[in-house]
Amino acid sequence: MNRLEGCVTHEPALSNPYALQNQAAIPCESGQHPPPSADRTATPAISIRGLTKRYGALTALNDLNLEIHRGEIFGFLGLNGAGKTTAIRLLLDLLRPTSGQAFIFGYNCWAEGLDARARIGYLPGELGLYLDLTGLETLDFLAGLNRQPLDKGHRQSLCDRLELSGNDLRRRLRQYSTGMKRKLGIIQAFQAKPPLLILDEPTEGLDPLMQESFYGLLAEVKRGGATVFMSSHVLSEVERVCDRIALLRKGEMVLLSSVQESRRLAPRRVRVSFSEDVNAPPELPPGYQLTEQTPRLWRLAVAGPLGPLLARLAGLPVKDMDIDEARLEDVVRRYYRGTDDPEQPLTPALSPSEGAREKPPQPWG
Amino acid sequence: MSGAFLLLRLSLKRVRLLLLATGLVLAGFQVLRVLIAASVHKAGDFEQIAALLPPAVRTVLGPSVTSVMSFNGIVCGGYFDLGIVLALVVLTIALATLPAAEIETGFADLILARPMRRHWLITRTIALVLLAIGLMLFMITAGIWSGLALFAPADAPGPPARQVAALVVNLGMLLLSWGGVAMAFGAACRRAVAGPATALIAFASLLLDYAQKLWSPLEWIGWLSPFRYYAPFELIMGDPLPVENLLVLGAIALTGFTVAYFIISERDISR
Repeated sequence: MNRLEGCVTHEPALSNPYALQNQAAIPCESGQHPPPSADRTATPAISIRGLTKRYGALTALNDLNLEIHRGEIFGFLGLNGAGKTTAIRLLLDLLRPTSGQAFIFGYNCWAEGLDARARIGYLPGELGLYLDLTGLETLDFLAGLNRQPLDKGHRQSLCDRLELSGNDLRRRLRQYSTGMKRKLGIIQAFQAKPPLLILDEPTEGLDPLMQESFYGLLAEVKRGGATVFMSSHVLSEVERVCDRIALLRKGEMVLLSSVQESRRLAPRRVRVSFSEDVNAPPELPPGYQLTEQTPRLWRLAVAGPLGPLLARLAGLPVKDMDIDEARLEDVVRRYYRGTDDPEQPLTPALSPSEGAREKPPQPWG
Repeated sequence: MSGAFLLLRLSLKRVRLLLLATGLVLAGFQVLRVLIAASVHKAGDFEQIAALLPPAVRTVLGPSVTSVMSFNGIVCGGYFDLGIVLALVVLTIALATLPAAEIETGFADLILARPMRRHWLITRTIALVLLAIGLMLFMITAGIWSGLALFAPADAPGPPARQVAALVVNLGMLLLSWGGVAMAFGAACRRAVAGPATALIAFASLLLDYAQKLWSPLEWIGWLSPFRYYAPFELIMGDPLPVENLLVLGAIALTGFTVAYFIISERDISR
């Protein structure tokens, strides 16, 4: 098992007034506040220790260890059946773990599940709604289940942002399109201003314009200090909005890194064209790999500094040079495929849907 | 307003039309029964009708045949009419398997991802089943009293309130026992399995109850059928309501609810 962990030291958010304010307003189920020794304000938003879920001989999630810092947006990646949804459902106490522990803001997800879940806004991957209810009835009902009074102005602003009008909200859900249901799902998750948002494939079914609005919303809640834990298949989305990522493969975490640092795990792609024919370089520095070579064109995968390449090119008739920064996709694809060797040459980009076809979907995913 | 109350209110709101429609049909049917009973009473044809009953039915009814084939017997028939009882059992099963439906559709995810204890899914359903049973029995009774007020002959005052109350309580407990069985199944498996399976068991139990009345060798397993503990014909004859019957039916319901509570607290909430 190759596990790459802690590629970069992430500085946890020093202050999180939005989250702390919200938490303070949420009463404990027991009616007692935690003892001073249990300083929950210093705890991570999510702390997972050795979390395992087995279904008979099938291991859906194996020994997951993870800490999500307050105020960060965390991307949870993996193919279908990798265990993302299982992990999320364990945090919400919808599934019971085989072993391990998990905490939300210091509250044990099972022993203190009510206190933990009072701080969560959850968007499921597949939204189960009663189609005979209107959008507004659904939102009102779900808001009523939270322990906090609803800020209707905030909900209205969410509806405005996601372009769900009053008329739409008064319609029965059976008249809703897939995208409208998704918007409703997002609103119900965000409407209580929870300090932690757990979002399972949040942009699935949203059109590009609504995706933009959603990203704006994410940026706003992050500015407010809330923490976001989201699973996604869309690597460009993760690359854009997430601070850190974890990648699951077959129930095991194989990568935990900041997005920025993870890009460094993949080589940059360099294309050099020449005005005259040149010979192939006799040898390349470590971390360099020639992926294509013709008399007037070299393509290289470069892991590390570019200095040695520039020095080598100095005496050659260079006509043009392109350097493509490594994309998250380049890194993630390697882990999806199960080859963790950063030196391994990269193949053309694999779209998530293509990747998903590589391994048949698993029932627990 | 507590989340549990909101959950019950939402469930009631979603089934209100079904309950009201069923209740109105039952009440209307009872008015019609009173009208028919009054008509037969005026014609004095009860004995002739009783004579037309097939021998198997006479065997099942036993000594209560005269009581059942009377004005009061026909008026109270809504409490033991096979079609009505089976319809009420099916309605109870449908309501009692609501948690299974909520888990299957994923609506339970949205509920339980909030600060709500799992047991509220069951507690709410018990309250819903109790309210639905209460409403149905109230509508049957209201239909009877309305019918009597409108159509009862002067010399046929109708069943005494104590007799009606005994029938209501006994039928209510029978329905509750099936609610408990359905809830236990519904907490463990899909609604598409739990509903039909419980209905099938109920139907088989009803057949067993009738069969053991017709064929004495079956009496040794007859006690397995909850219908055995529903004795409308004896109540029509004026017998007191057997407390042990209520205890057995109550125990079945309680066992079902307890099993449902246990299963829902332990199981994974997944489709």
